[in-house]
Amino acid sequence: MKKIAAHIGDQLFEPERAQTSGERIFFKLFELFVVAYTIRFMWEWGLYTQLRNVEVVLPLGLANYYNSAWLFDHNLALINAFIVTALLCAAFFRMGPKWLYMLVMVLFHIQYVVRFSQGEIPHSQNLIGMSVFCFAIGAWFFPAKSEIPRFVMGSIIFFIGLGYTAAFFSKLIGTGINWYDGRHLWLWISEKSIDILSREGVYSPNFLQQMALGSTAVASVILLIGWFTELIGFTMWWKKLRPYTTTLLIAMHFGITLTMNIRFDAFVMQLILVGYPWYKLIDRFQLREPLFFKIEYENQHRAE
Amino acid sequence: MRESLTKRGMKVLGIVLIIYAALVATHEGEFWPFSIYPMFSQAGNPWTRAMVIDVTDTDDELIWQVQEPGNLHGRPVPVRQYGVDQIDYSNFMSKTENWTSDRMDAVLAMFGSHNLANRRWIAAKVHGQMIGRDSVAVEVLPWLLLTEDGVYRNPELPESDYIRRPE
Repeated sequence: MKKIAAHIGDQLFEPERAQTSGERIFFKLFELFVVAYTIRFMWEWGLYTQLRNVEVVLPLGLANYYNSAWLFDHNLALINAFIVTALLCAAFFRMGPKWLYMLVMVLFHIQYVVRFSQGEIPHSQNLIGMSVFCFAIGAWFFPAKSEIPRFVMGSIIFFIGLGYTAAFFSKLIGTGINWYDGRHLWLWISEKSIDILSREGVYSPNFLQQMALGSTAVASVILLIGWFTELIGFTMWWKKLRPYTTTLLIAMHFGITLTMNIRFDAFVMQLILVGYPWYKLIDRFQLREPLFFKIEYENQHRAE
Repeated sequence: MRESLTKRGMKVLGIVLIIYAALVATHEGEFWPFSIYPMFSQAGNPWTRAMVIDVTDTDDELIWQVQEPGNLHGRPVPVRQYGVDQIDYSNFMSKTENWTSDRMDAVLAMFGSHNLANRRWIAAKVHGQMIGRDSVAVEVLPWLLLTEDGVYRNPELPESDYIRRPE
């Protein structure tokens, strides 16, 4: 067991690989992506809560232990968004204590349970949430410049892979081996068609939906491919397999968007960012354009 | 130093995993952002969603009739135009068990009573289920009538449909 854990750890954190400036630049850009999305969600959820939430239909997370309805009024959700925005700016520039990201995580969780107290449990923001959590753990336990990028990226990849494989088993346990029966897809397409009709006022099935609705076999194959892709999600843990698994997962999300009209913008963007070794591209660019990176390098040394 | 990153990293991940498992196990699979990702895990079950139909120009005797999505007695109201999240609205309609006056007023508040000036809308539940082995049946059940002045229940449905658990 220890050997397996050490092997997976080596694949996730790659301790043998020397850190390059490409990796440092990519990590900061990725952090900016997570910070920007967190700020966006905080304000979107805060505004919606202030304008629309009236009653708690479904208490989630910490809201099981207090009445989250008191955050619906007096602009409290917006004040929370403002506080998190300020904290994130400080955390991004490594100002203040190392537990800032952890505080952000708690306030981000509170904003989520307040906003989504209306009955729906969306998962499209989970990856951003998990990323903030990994930054919180990384900043606290691995604050060194050489360690934080490796831990944060490695742990995010770990939880993404785990999440997809967990989703496979949720379906297996929830329904059984016949989960991929194409008629199940018919039910979901009809369900989502009502959501689109209600949201937009009109709905017409696209080509893939027509194909799935026209044949149980086609619908079953679509579900089977998606389900298999979820099963192999954990193979992202291995660095050589990661780009291939990521590509399959992205294709699966496009398939879900086409068949069930569910979009995962932040999810897919994050998969693209963490699933491929972008730092290599930056390093290669650095070799070709050394002058551009000389400025960055000098600035960094001055700061150190 | 490098070696210790792997060791400490896996140790921290292990502790987080235990906390993760404990939280999702005690909170029905969800403690955001921790989740067992149960979406679509229960396949083949009947579903309930919701929609809004503009019945301003519809005869009174037709507005409470059960309908099909392709043959509505009125025009579907695009809820996004009114700043309402369809998923939230749908869940509010399908998961509310006791339709108290507060809950009914909350539907009106969601859309804003000013948007109903001289109009009347039906907030409908939509049910879908498999019929036999090869078809899906979908029916639209008018649930509430929304007007600028107030919210009214479907008079053709029994009281027990609106109050599942009397307090």
